[in-house]
Amino acid sequence: MIRTLTALAALSLAAGASAAEAPDFVRDGRAGFVVSHIAYALGPDAEQAGTCPRGMTRNYHEIYAATPEGRRRPGESDEAYQERLDAGARRLASGPGGESYCLHPELAPPDPWYRTVERSDVPVPGIDLDGRADPDDFPSPEGEPGVDNQFYRAVGCNRSYQSSGSSNRFNISMLTGSWGILFLLEGVDDLREDPEVRVHFYANGDPIRLSPKREPLAYASYAPKREPRFHAVANGRIEGGMLRTEPVDMLFQNEVNSMYLDRPLRDGRLVAEIGSDGRLQGFLAGYTPVEEMYDMQFGYRDGRTRKGELAPERLRLHTAFGAAFVLGHTCHGAWQALHRLADGHPDPDGRFTTISTQYRIEAIPAFVIPPEEVAP
Amino acid sequence: MRGKSWRIAIALFVVLLAPGCGERPEATAEPSPVGGPALIRRLTESQYRHTLADLFGPEAPVVARFERELRAHGLIAAGTSEAGISAFAMEQYDAAARALADYLLAPERRAAYLPCTPRAEVAFDADCAARFVARWGERLFRRPLTEAQVARYVDAARTAAATLGDFHEGLEYALVGLLIAPQFLLRIEHVEPDPARPGGYRLDPWSRAERLAFFLTDSTPDEALLAAAASGELDTPEGLARQVDRLMGLARFEDAVRAFFRDMLEFDRFADLAKDAQIYPAWTPEVALDAQEQTLRDLVWHLVREGGDYRDLFVLGETHMTRALGVLYRQPVPPRQGFARIPLSHDGSRLGIQSHLSFLALHAHPGRSSPTLRGKAIREIFLCQEVPDPPPNVNFSLVQEGPGARPTARERLAAHNTEPACAGCHKVMDPVGLALENYDGAGIFRREENGAPIDASGFLDGTAYEDAAGLARALRDHPETPRCLVEKLYRFAVGRDTVWGERAYLDWLVEAFARAGYRVPELMRTIALSEQFFAIAPPAERRWAARTVTLEEDRP
Repeated sequence: MIRTLTALAALSLAAGASAAEAPDFVRDGRAGFVVSHIAYALGPDAEQAGTCPRGMTRNYHEIYAATPEGRRRPGESDEAYQERLDAGARRLASGPGGESYCLHPELAPPDPWYRTVERSDVPVPGIDLDGRADPDDFPSPEGEPGVDNQFYRAVGCNRSYQSSGSSNRFNISMLTGSWGILFLLEGVDDLREDPEVRVHFYANGDPIRLSPKREPLAYASYAPKREPRFHAVANGRIEGGMLRTEPVDMLFQNEVNSMYLDRPLRDGRLVAEIGSDGRLQGFLAGYTPVEEMYDMQFGYRDGRTRKGELAPERLRLHTAFGAAFVLGHTCHGAWQALHRLADGHPDPDGRFTTISTQYRIEAIPAFVIPPEEVAP
Repeated sequence: MRGKSWRIAIALFVVLLAPGCGERPEATAEPSPVGGPALIRRLTESQYRHTLADLFGPEAPVVARFERELRAHGLIAAGTSEAGISAFAMEQYDAAARALADYLLAPERRAAYLPCTPRAEVAFDADCAARFVARWGERLFRRPLTEAQVARYVDAARTAAATLGDFHEGLEYALVGLLIAPQFLLRIEHVEPDPARPGGYRLDPWSRAERLAFFLTDSTPDEALLAAAASGELDTPEGLARQVDRLMGLARFEDAVRAFFRDMLEFDRFADLAKDAQIYPAWTPEVALDAQEQTLRDLVWHLVREGGDYRDLFVLGETHMTRALGVLYRQPVPPRQGFARIPLSHDGSRLGIQSHLSFLALHAHPGRSSPTLRGKAIREIFLCQEVPDPPPNVNFSLVQEGPGARPTARERLAAHNTEPACAGCHKVMDPVGLALENYDGAGIFRREENGAPIDASGFLDGTAYEDAAGLARALRDHPETPRCLVEKLYRFAVGRDTVWGERAYLDWLVEAFARAGYRVPELMRTIALSEQFFAIAPPAERRWAARTVTLEEDRP
């Protein structure tokens, strides 16, 4: 699977250096990287693989429109019908007391129209997180069993998560400088073979540096966010140019509609190939707490301002409801699917609290200034 | 070509025969001044901006697009005495003057600029107008106005006030007149007999103050300097020294050093510099600005703040760098904002200002490096050795061909140089420029070109080296390096090319420079205190036709 990534990435190589140059960024045993591309590693499109035989997930408007009450009435104008659809959708998205199901999905009844991928025989990119080949695991595109990727199962029937959809393009806000991810390897003796390296995972405190053509530039300097909660470190090893790290809890950030949301990864690990030009390509994978996953992809309940204050409720609510309409889901349907498909970190009652999540990443050489070396 | 051939001849003589490079000559007296012509010099853009900022405050707007400045004899400063003012430039000066006058005389601001309170808002107060014109006229013209000049601008203010029905709008009109007057936009030098040299001439006190101020502060004379000119203080060596030392103690002195090196290093050419974004994606407008600032900061830091040896500029291993620059230098830059002082390279291989992006990228093509352009630039900018332009029918096909049989620039140039018409000059330029081939067209370090290892060895006037660091040391130790700086700095100071008769003076300056440990501020002080700096050649001996200008309103 890494070979496939390498070939694809080589086509989009864009940095301050040409591909033929030897890496010139390992200094004093340190090698830094900035993530230049990130997206959920998802399986094939539903239409191509037949993974959603009962159809695609519906949003509030579509659910309402399918009811007798929601059908268009004879002679009803476009404007009048749209108004009635909007009102009907809002009723479906709200509880009896008017409470929003986007902000309070736990109050909602089951959504019978939310579809998920039920098959496990389609190839799905990612890595084996738990060392087991469970029934709900997928085979990798290369045929290796045991890929844990329940997030794909949860969103695989949403039209916005198909390859032409917009939900998996969240790295756009990374490229506009809202957030970013840094890796810093320490104790590096050899980028091809090194049995012991320390790998730091940081949320980037600086906007990514781009070329005039808006492509990330290699060899830029970055400092992590100051807050220790955005710093994690794990042991790792490099074998044949492949970097593998031990599991560690890590936390990054995400930005939607000027709201900042946590992007955590429990027992996260990096498995990536280090290319001869210093480019790193592979998977950042682990388990995302279900409630945080719901917040950053569907509900935005904990969206915060740049100052860290809770964003206005109106903004959070409208963002969630608008996203449901545009992206084709219901808030509570997504919340219910995430909980149903969760597969990690059971609570004392045996209920899983996290869902396996795989990110496909590319990172380019960067000078990562460790937090302790950043001037106050 | 005036002066070029003898300059090259002397350069070779010094290289080959100069004995005792490490010896410090004994101090000698300044040779008798021979003087040069009195000049009319157009203000440079930075002088214009500094002047207005000094007179009216840094917030005062300068709303103008300046036209390209004329470079002559290697310097824009020398071009200022040869450049005219186009109709476009006049339009820009006029627009800038109107915007500035409107800003300064706005109701909420005018009290700070008026030396008097008018008797009425509408009725014209001639006394107050005259005081206003005299005050700002002296500062802008850099000498007191004659009565006729004051009357002319007061009349203009009166006419405008009558038409517009407002006293202050009348003053605004007069101020616009002062701001677009030739006496402001041009440095018109005035001459008087030199009492120390019967039959000789020198600049009058106001023109001396003007030369001093623009040379040592890149701005107009301040009130203290004008007072010194008025009182005769500048007529005595002690008084002159007091003023020179005072000016060199001002913050503006660093601006003057910057202005000189910006001119010498041809940074005006950055306005036309383009790089292929496909080949050099890290080259951005931000990088182009930061690259110039990096070099200027290093120069000021080393020469002014550290009091360093000029020659060491070519082997400096530390620099000022921003994060935007760090991408191309492959260096980590800890601070998020601004410049940090860090090593130029992690392995010490990159040394000196000639290894800065501001040099390497400026003297290269949009999509590739150029040993020829870089070699020519080093010869001309740092060694004052002029290289002729290529013949009109030169065949560039060999140097422009793609990689193939000749993957490196060295190989392509070797093939190109088999043409006799090209070989002569390329032998002078290429060995120098090839030493910088480890830096691509944007100045990024590379070990290979088109997959072939780069050979950066070469020689500079008899000194062989293996790489760019070797070139740096050869440049530092080249006997022409300090002489060239002296010549350029003197040309910058007087605004013209040097003439044969000034050779003894320049030799004396070179000796003084060496005695002072090649400290540039000390050299500037020596020039400013020298008689030659203010001396004007007698009319019969002037090599160039004297350009005496008497403007209508200057007549008594």
